[in-house]
Amino acid sequence: MRYIFKFPDIGEGLEEGKITEWYVEKGQSISAGDALLNMETDKVVTDIPSPKSGIIAQRYGAVGDTVKVGNALVEIEIEGESFEQADELPQATGKGEEVIEEKGFGVVGTMEVAGDGAYLPSSNEGLAAVEHKQAHTRKVLATPVARALAKERGIDINTVQGSGPAGRVTSKDIEKHTQIRSTEQAKSSERKTAYPSDQLHESVPISQIRKTIARNMLRSKQNTAHMSVMEEVEVSELVDARHKINERLKDVKISYLPFIIKAIAIALKNHPVLNAELDMEAERIIYKKYYNIGLAMDTDDGLVVPVIRNADKKSLVQLAKEISVFAEKAKTRKLTLDDMRDGTFTITSYGSIGGYFAVPVINYPQSAIFGIGRIADKPVIKDAAVVPGKVMPISMSVDHRIVDGGEVARFLNEVLEMLKEPMLILAYEGGQDEL
Amino acid sequence: MFNHETLDKYSPLENKIFQLIDDDGMPLDKKWKPALSDKQIIQAYKDLLFERTADYMAVSYQRQGRMFTYPPNLGQEAIHIATGMVIKEDDWLVPDFRELGAWLAKGVSMREIFLYFKGNEDGSRFVNAKRMLPVSVPIASQLVHAVGIGYAMNYQKEKAVVFAFVGDGGTSEGDFHEALNFAAVWNVPVVFIVQNNQFAISVPIKTQTKSQNLALKGVAYAIPSVLVDGNDVFAMHEVLAFARDHADSGKGPVLIEARTYRIGAHTTSDDPTKYRTKEEEAAWALKDPLKRLKGYIEAKKLFDTSGEEALVAEYKKKIDKEFEAAEKHPEYPLDDVFKYMYQEMPSELRRQKNAYENYLQNKGGAK
Repeated sequence: MRYIFKFPDIGEGLEEGKITEWYVEKGQSISAGDALLNMETDKVVTDIPSPKSGIIAQRYGAVGDTVKVGNALVEIEIEGESFEQADELPQATGKGEEVIEEKGFGVVGTMEVAGDGAYLPSSNEGLAAVEHKQAHTRKVLATPVARALAKERGIDINTVQGSGPAGRVTSKDIEKHTQIRSTEQAKSSERKTAYPSDQLHESVPISQIRKTIARNMLRSKQNTAHMSVMEEVEVSELVDARHKINERLKDVKISYLPFIIKAIAIALKNHPVLNAELDMEAERIIYKKYYNIGLAMDTDDGLVVPVIRNADKKSLVQLAKEISVFAEKAKTRKLTLDDMRDGTFTITSYGSIGGYFAVPVINYPQSAIFGIGRIADKPVIKDAAVVPGKVMPISMSVDHRIVDGGEVARFLNEVLEMLKEPMLILAYEGGQDEL
Repeated sequence: MFNHETLDKYSPLENKIFQLIDDDGMPLDKKWKPALSDKQIIQAYKDLLFERTADYMAVSYQRQGRMFTYPPNLGQEAIHIATGMVIKEDDWLVPDFRELGAWLAKGVSMREIFLYFKGNEDGSRFVNAKRMLPVSVPIASQLVHAVGIGYAMNYQKEKAVVFAFVGDGGTSEGDFHEALNFAAVWNVPVVFIVQNNQFAISVPIKTQTKSQNLALKGVAYAIPSVLVDGNDVFAMHEVLAFARDHADSGKGPVLIEARTYRIGAHTTSDDPTKYRTKEEEAAWALKDPLKRLKGYIEAKKLFDTSGEEALVAEYKKKIDKEFEAAEKHPEYPLDDVFKYMYQEMPSELRRQKNAYENYLQNKGGAK
């Protein structure tokens, strides 16, 4: 006999969760209490253990899929019980469009909390055959008038959220639903193309990380007055300095980034408004006395920004080591919330992939972001002669609401001076002298 | 042994913390001898291990969807085990909600505990635990009851002690202060145990109070108060034994701040990684009460701890049986929720009852 394990409500009123990792394969034998998979919910990220011992007969959903509370996660073939076909199961997961639609209309079914699996007795109750039957008997409660009205307007009454006693659908609900439907239709014809589900289009639910990126980018653009400035700096000396240092170092190689972080941390101390946050609600500016530098990193899943804490107090080598740890963590998706919070300023080195200039988006609510373009061999003029040079392009965006043009130019001058003559980093490190 | 002189030495005003063993379980004072016998120390280790296993299993059952919200005890067990060693049958236990080991010592069964966290009222009926109040979720309200019980015992000239638990967050509640004031004024035999696990859900202690410790709050009410290393089972035992004697001999209440750390989440609905740092967790991991007690036992060669896995396996089986028994327990009738408040059910209550019955039907026949 098969036992269906449904996704339980593990966090007081959860509706759904997202599969982040599977620990078991189909055919694998497991003991009660063994972790089946890892799930991310609104409240926690947690392992879900199996309530039964047996063999995994079926797995529902892939990593990244959203599972509604009460839907099946696995089927477990329980030892010593005879096999029984459990066809047409309550469907588990991420058939993208279906799930999204359900969310939009608020199916009555989502009221179901931990499913009938809240109590999974050790007897035969709750086993596949029983569950199967129950899944089909659920029907929305509705008044006869509401049913007639729904039929007349071609609405599937099971998709209407009822407001009457016990979720009963009333004629008022049908009226409301009709209105919502027509506005939604109007909206979707406005800005959405109705893509058919065919071989030319693939509909993919967006990941948690993409949702976050989208929200943050929009929030930044909507809440700040972006202003950008671009510059170039000749960095032959920096190239030399880095080369010399790397000849000496054994277990870590230093990139340009630590020098830039260092120079920025020093300059930020002289220009606190670039390490500040504007709080319009409380009508105040919050100056931060710590220098936590975020580094925008490109990963397969999307943009992540781990934060180097107290960058002003760390050596170039320490910074290099931290960067390499973060790069590895970013690649293997091991970055934690801790790694990515409390940043006060952000650096993006888009040039490592390509591009001279850009208009970086501020990591709101910070007040500035520093972009590094691709270093290139270019002719430069030195002592009235054209000589070959290494030129690093810089693009910086600030929130013009609190950072004035003069201030960003002065800040940039200091940073660039230190990049041009890296010895100056040594000279100014630890102090607060204007350069 | 902790006595009145030691109490004077560990004034909360000086922020001194009473501690007997170090992070590895080694005595801080080489001349110190434990007040517990070897046998008691081994039992404490086993009880702690049992509590930890039961706690782990409870979280697992919750994650399997077989139990509702549960508050893990992980990291705070030394306080519970020490209380269990000191509390007597006639003493009252007034729990908060995170003292699993103390409940077990009082005679509560795991089956009852599971029933409670499965939302069944029978889980608050402790058949074999004499004199224990049900779990209290409204923070600090239980302390007022504890003082009331103490007052009644004084009135009836009964000789026993009340052990009342509260967390660090509870010390910011009005009930805490009212209870302390009356406890001192009425000279009641109550031992207040404040489990300071550093967080009131996600609120760190620094945001919670400006006092440098919580034992100070007892000083304000003229209650003998002491700050103790709550992860040191020996220190907790000595102080609790002293506090019990003090209260039992008619000298009134005692307040103990047991400084500890909740290694787990506040409850199964909480994600502590959102408000704690790894560094902090790592620092407290060194002070883990089980690790320290084991360190002592191993250094003194009292017991072969290499069989720990087998012990845990044995405990797991036992706990599983208790959980299955809880699952087989009959559910309470829906009527019980509605019928006892009024002789005749008012229309509003009847409407709610009908609505709920409809809901259950709609759900497809859940009981």
